[in-house]
Amino acid sequence: MIILVLVIFPFVSPYQALATQIIIFGLLALGYNILYGYTGLLSFGHAAFFGLGAYASGIILVRTNCSIWASIGAGLAVSAIGAFLIGFLCLRRRGIYFALLTLAFAQMLYYIAYTWVSLTGGEPGLRNIPRPPFELPGLFSINIYTPTRFYFFVLAFVMAALIILKRILESPFGKVLQGIRENEKRARACGYDTNRIKWLSFILSGAFSGLAGALHTLYLNFVGIEQLYWATSGMIVMMTLLGGPGTFFGPFIGAGVFLYLEDIISGFTKYWMIFLGPIFVLCVLFFPQGIWGTIKSFTDRFSRH
Amino acid sequence: MEILRTEQLTKIFGGLTAVNRVDFVLEERKLQSIIGPNGAGKSTFFKMISGEFPPSGGKIWFRGENITGFPQHVVSHKGIATSYQITNIFPKLTTFENVRIAVQSRKTSFNFWTRADRHHDINEKTMQILETVRLAEKKDVLAANLPHGDQRHLEIGIALGTNPVLLLLDEPTAGLNPVETVETMELIKKIAQGLSIILVEHKMKVIMNISEIITVFHEGQVIAIGNPEEIQENETVRKVYLGGKKK
Repeated sequence: MIILVLVIFPFVSPYQALATQIIIFGLLALGYNILYGYTGLLSFGHAAFFGLGAYASGIILVRTNCSIWASIGAGLAVSAIGAFLIGFLCLRRRGIYFALLTLAFAQMLYYIAYTWVSLTGGEPGLRNIPRPPFELPGLFSINIYTPTRFYFFVLAFVMAALIILKRILESPFGKVLQGIRENEKRARACGYDTNRIKWLSFILSGAFSGLAGALHTLYLNFVGIEQLYWATSGMIVMMTLLGGPGTFFGPFIGAGVFLYLEDIISGFTKYWMIFLGPIFVLCVLFFPQGIWGTIKSFTDRFSRH
Repeated sequence: MEILRTEQLTKIFGGLTAVNRVDFVLEERKLQSIIGPNGAGKSTFFKMISGEFPPSGGKIWFRGENITGFPQHVVSHKGIATSYQITNIFPKLTTFENVRIAVQSRKTSFNFWTRADRHHDINEKTMQILETVRLAEKKDVLAANLPHGDQRHLEIGIALGTNPVLLLLDEPTAGLNPVETVETMELIKKIAQGLSIILVEHKMKVIMNISEIITVFHEGQVIAIGNPEEIQENETVRKVYLGGKKK
């Protein structure tokens, strides 16, 4: 069902670039949801991994004549390493201190990218990033310049990520993450090394966000400095809350609704945030389980009776 | 054979000595009780054994191994489980999931790939425990929605899930009415057949009819050890704990 919807999606959305943008941010929100929705760790600096993935793949594409695989691999690897280090340090603290530490690290990366102009392009961003063809050497090589082709290229990665994520979250490991979210002390008493498991969750979450970053670079042929800015972190949190944290598909829906509304409202006024803000507040107040969470609990109740 | 021994076990919080040089011995497959007024150091004593608090001094021996200062998750794998005084469950997971997480901890904590609900051995063991604690019919209910009495049983079920050798029961009947208390005591008698148990309780009746040996804590120290009759007759105990009245 989900596959079908995502295949038809670019043809019903206002324009295909929006559909591509939605599935990339959907992936980003899903990656974030591992940490927030499943493990219960509120990171307020997830822009760091989105940005690391984006810059890593962008820089390697600009500087070398590498394949599309290498650029995505670089995005994944650098964001995972970043999450490995930042996670190690941030997980020394809990709750609000943890959230502030993640925010601080993301802002540090932002200023590093801002000042290190020779590497990152600084404030104007990293420009003129080529989009190499989608190829397997010796087998095939397809250029992915048209929006439709590029959409399906991204969709292939997003689908693969969705399947992997679903398996992880339904595995015993995924259940332990939920146990930690619900009651970390008890999880530890049950014999789980919760610090290490939280760290793993952080790295996984960072890697998936980095994959979204790498795809975003290919999508725009550009990396903007604002991808590392704290407002991006905030947007990720908003998308997740809007869709339904802790539900598998919720954040994806949240990202879609967020970007779709942004697209419509910003057509009328540049102050689109003024309109999106109240919608977000009302959603959180009246549907704390998010859009998907509310629909799910409704259908669950319906199917039980 | 002795299974647990503490030597001069001590915990100091700032200026307060919560547990003061406690020597304690538990024989295998025995049920021993600890009583004492609030603040006597009973829960702190438990938390040191389970690895939640590192001791300030002294040693803990478990099955001949010095486990002093081991982290909690390691102690759990050695075979010590706690059922907590304040209900300590996974509220937004089902009753089944609550116990399953505990059972799974003995097997596949780093399995990322297979679906959790396809591990039949874990599921069977979980159902077995749910039947023991009489929650099998409520397995799909969210733990947060269970009545208090059932939550207390779930608490014990989670502890049993880790397949312990030694079970620390911290006031398992806290907040239960007399009928539920009797039920819970029956449950404890049933599970006591296979393992060693240390029980902390406030309800004198409960303690007196279930335990062979009682240790009395007062202000962090052990002031008496004996069988129920000896404890009831003990002058010091009656003064600090039973309020001087003979029961």
